[in-house]
Amino acid sequence: MKVEYKVKRYNPESDVALESFDTYVVELDQAATVLDGLIKIREEVDNTLTLRCSCRSAICGSCAMRINGQAMLACNTKVSDFEENGNIKLLVEPPGNMPVIKDLVVDFVPFWSKVKSVDPWLKSSHPPKYMEEHIASNESMLHLSGVMGCIMCGACVSDCTVLEVDKSFLGPAALAKAYRFVSDPRDDSTKFRLKALEKPSGMWDCTRCMQCVEVCPKGVDPMGRIMKLRDFAIQDGYKNTYGAKHTAVFTDSVKNTGWLNEFQLPLRTFGIFNVFKLLGLLPILLDALVSRKVPPVFHHKLPSVSSIQRIFKKVDLQITKRE
Amino acid sequence: MKKFAFYPGCVSRGACPELFDSTLTVCERLGIELIHEPLEGASCTGAGVLQEKNQKLGDTLNARTFAMVEKTGLPLLTICSTCQGVMAQANYRLRSDKNYLDEINRDLADENLQYSGSVEPKHLLWVLFEDIGVDYVKSQFTRSLEGFKFAPFYGCYIVRPSDVLALDVNPDRKNSLEQIIEATGAELVDFPGKTACCGFPILLINETNSTKMVGNHTLSAKRKGADAMVTPCPLCHLNLDGYQPSASLLRREKINLPILHLPQLLGLAMGIEPTELKLNRHIVSTKKIISTLSVTP
Amino acid sequence: MLKHDVLIIGAGLAGMRAAVAAKDLGADVALVSKVHPVRSHSNAAQGGINAALGHRGDKWEDHAYDTIKGSDYIADQDAVEIMAKEAGSEVISMEHMGVIFNRDDQGKLGTRAFGGQRKARTFFVADFTGQALLHVLYEQIVKSDVLVYEEWFVLSLIVQDGECSGAVMIDMKSGKIEVCIAKTVILATGGLGRVFEPSTNALICTGDGMALAYRAGVPMMDMEMVQYHPTTLKNNGALMSESARGEGAYLRNIDGERFMAKEGNAPKMMELASRDVVSRSEQKEINEGRGVDGCVLLDCTHLGEKLINEKLPQIRDLAKDFANVDMAKEPVPVRPGMHYQMGGIKTDVNGLTTLPNLYAAGECACVSVHGGNRLGANSLLDTLVFGRRAGEHAAEVSKNRSNPKISSTDVLKKHEEDIEKLLSNNDKNGFVFGSIRKEMGTLMNQYLAVFRDETGMQTALEKLSELKLKYKNIIVPDKGRVFNTALIFTLELGFMLDCAETIAISALERKESRGAHARTDMPDRDDKNWLKHVLVYKENDDAYRVDYLPVVITQWKPEERKY
Repeated sequence: MKVEYKVKRYNPESDVALESFDTYVVELDQAATVLDGLIKIREEVDNTLTLRCSCRSAICGSCAMRINGQAMLACNTKVSDFEENGNIKLLVEPPGNMPVIKDLVVDFVPFWSKVKSVDPWLKSSHPPKYMEEHIASNESMLHLSGVMGCIMCGACVSDCTVLEVDKSFLGPAALAKAYRFVSDPRDDSTKFRLKALEKPSGMWDCTRCMQCVEVCPKGVDPMGRIMKLRDFAIQDGYKNTYGAKHTAVFTDSVKNTGWLNEFQLPLRTFGIFNVFKLLGLLPILLDALVSRKVPPVFHHKLPSVSSIQRIFKKVDLQITKRE
Repeated sequence: MKKFAFYPGCVSRGACPELFDSTLTVCERLGIELIHEPLEGASCTGAGVLQEKNQKLGDTLNARTFAMVEKTGLPLLTICSTCQGVMAQANYRLRSDKNYLDEINRDLADENLQYSGSVEPKHLLWVLFEDIGVDYVKSQFTRSLEGFKFAPFYGCYIVRPSDVLALDVNPDRKNSLEQIIEATGAELVDFPGKTACCGFPILLINETNSTKMVGNHTLSAKRKGADAMVTPCPLCHLNLDGYQPSASLLRREKINLPILHLPQLLGLAMGIEPTELKLNRHIVSTKKIISTLSVTP
Repeated sequence: MLKHDVLIIGAGLAGMRAAVAAKDLGADVALVSKVHPVRSHSNAAQGGINAALGHRGDKWEDHAYDTIKGSDYIADQDAVEIMAKEAGSEVISMEHMGVIFNRDDQGKLGTRAFGGQRKARTFFVADFTGQALLHVLYEQIVKSDVLVYEEWFVLSLIVQDGECSGAVMIDMKSGKIEVCIAKTVILATGGLGRVFEPSTNALICTGDGMALAYRAGVPMMDMEMVQYHPTTLKNNGALMSESARGEGAYLRNIDGERFMAKEGNAPKMMELASRDVVSRSEQKEINEGRGVDGCVLLDCTHLGEKLINEKLPQIRDLAKDFANVDMAKEPVPVRPGMHYQMGGIKTDVNGLTTLPNLYAAGECACVSVHGGNRLGANSLLDTLVFGRRAGEHAAEVSKNRSNPKISSTDVLKKHEEDIEKLLSNNDKNGFVFGSIRKEMGTLMNQYLAVFRDETGMQTALEKLSELKLKYKNIIVPDKGRVFNTALIFTLELGFMLDCAETIAISALERKESRGAHARTDMPDRDDKNWLKHVLVYKENDDAYRVDYLPVVITQWKPEERKY
């Protein structure tokens, strides 16, 4: 079948257009992947087309790129997935949120410097004796294989909506890597790690948009890991961030009344003595007053709040503590 | 009339009363009977925030809501993308693990509730396609919105994760908002930010990033000629509307892009008066839209 | 000009293990790799890593015996002994570094069964053991702050006064060529799978290190021993781990028969016989018309969804993605596919080659521990044990060597000119890398596969020299310097042609059948004449020379090999 590739090109050495698109039409079989076509173009049509790829089986993490607007691995994406009325048209672009070096090749230096910043190695101050391993149950270890399945392809970073507005954000890959150590029963520097991760640009800056969950080709669920980190931080007493307070106030509101008290949420998240932050809320409050959009100041309780409270009591006690 | 157990969510009863009111008006016209009583005691879904602290607690509260819906035998309708997504995620976990469901049902037993797994939470946007029929919806449109250019903005929770939301099984869910906009006669303004994050969840944590998101999306829609943005998510509305003035300051550029709730768009196309749809209750003025409406025949 | 004590070329398991070991001894170490370390092909090792733990009721001697029997008796037994003895501490130290490993009921490291071994001694992390080890070793590289030249490609080794003194390399990002002086150099560049088409190997497995050493006058040993893995997917040659059979999967022919039971195959060990034996049995079924569309069937359906999800998740995905088969529900069509090069750069048990100060470890090296056929889960072990030994030895040697004196400007100038010449060839009748590579791969897979004969191998050798001639007029259409992958592929192709030639030469030389080298025209093993290694040396230009080396035998006398 015929497949049309429209590929974004960039050649830093060219004195003509800096960025452009080239279109190639190639003949591929039904089972072909997007990468098969790109390799065919590179070998048979245009030797200058530049991309990274190696294993062809979704383990080396080289070929993450944007295909029809979304980050994915070219090697485990079938061209036939994009068939529409008998036509297959692909728009192939480099991954986002990283500087482009040439064509589909981006600079991973910022990516790796963030991964390196979370101290990505096991810290165990009392390793077992020579020829003895750490004793740990399968249950306490194997849940980590989900996050250790990460191949560092950068798809999550490419499509992260926070990184789009703030390059300083640690990002889903580095935070998932951090989670891998925080939740490893052999690692004994959890407190130190959580303290570092609660800083600005860390775990609380994720906006929970689920882009990383959606685009991850290995089911790593980076956002789920970030949520777990937040849970661990709160459990370990790291509660003095706007993020942790926001969660606490929100939860309290649901617990006490059954639903969200929008009026109190900002006041109590910032703290009523946080004059600077509260002053910042004034313009929006004025705007809201003008258009009569202020949430009710007196927040009523839901009729069956006692039932909700009983559930809180029961389930909150069941919280599974980290080992 | 088709009956639904109505789950309005916290925001339509708080800072977005215009959503609540316009929903009632529009649903009545569409033959959707919203039954309020069964879910008056239903809790907040947790909005993904409570889940950060304790996912099981969130799942139990949502199972409680589903059990209350099951008792009525009615389908569940929501008008908030976030509620939709959080409930769908809870439901996905409850349905895919029988042991987990049993465990949660044990906690619900004291409340005289049991959830069997039969509920399918549905946003009004999906109900239009899957229960009412988009042709019927179109037949209720009496005022063409031709000449207007509207941009869609979904809200994360109604588009991701796609497997949990069964987007592949119900392909209309992937472009429902675009279809509705086009059905009103308005021109669709497509832009890449339509499925991105509005920034609301980090508003109180990192206001700058949140506001930057507002600025990016509203400006990119505006530069493509949009007269307004339409959203099925009241949380997106709160941020895109409420923080647009801040975004404007940050970007040193006028934006003034009205953010309409989905029912408000439907209502305008049905010829309902803008005041009845509470278009005057927005932070970014909708006056320009209203005045354009009054001069078009 | 760059300068280091120990320069390690290749950053897979062997290279990074060497780096950690050398750094621990205080050496100034640098890694250079044409891809980021975690993109290395060690990732692809799925099944596990072998070790006989003495205090758990296993014996290193048994592991050694299984390895030697698997090798069809041409592994050097002194080297195998070292590998088997040091396996346990190597696996345990990886656990200390952070590898999670599947556990047993007591919370200790658990094992699974693997082919060619009488005991379950394969330690594993689900079915992505290689990836788990690779990422953890990279963590150790970050922790110990080892410098990595990421995406640099090595053009040649610097040899002066009969000693290796560094390497010349090109920074792919800028296209700049640099001379790196080193007291010792370790080659850890992995395999040469892309010499064959198809192959389970990644596109980066182009035998660079082997060719670099070969061109520097170092002999290649056992190159005729090319492993065809019994279970690869037809479509793209992707690997279905041996762990499937380790967990109990069956191989069936078109009649549903478990053909491994046939006399002459492996009635005792069945699917878990050595890889060469299983691949030959499969190929026989296919050749004799009992295959399914050029394949046999890997049947996991009786294993149950739970076990598959827990222990074989990655290959389940692979089968889904690339063969459109859910292996929990139906059998997967598989066939033998080129997988591993047992031979390589001849080294001693410390990784030292015949060229002073040059080491090799991992798949590019031939110590030799795999001989005629490598056992599953011995390759990861090989990389770690001999990677570490090479790193330690090189660090010690570097302590006693002063910085080599190299006239770097001359070296640089020569390489600049070579690249310039390559880039400026615009001959309309020239060739580009793609067509030559494909031709080479196809002919190697045709004539040097599971079964071989004199005529075929002779044809291969002749065609290879034609391709080498074509390569002399190669053109690189991309004339830029920044990330010029066309240039890199062209250079790799030159390396691959050298490797291909050594394989054909050695194969023609060995006049018997042994291990992976199965000749239809000489089907028997001949211990009287061929219990020895074949070595190939490069002479000037296109000439070569063949030599032999006796196999080291310590305590296991060659006997008939039956599974």
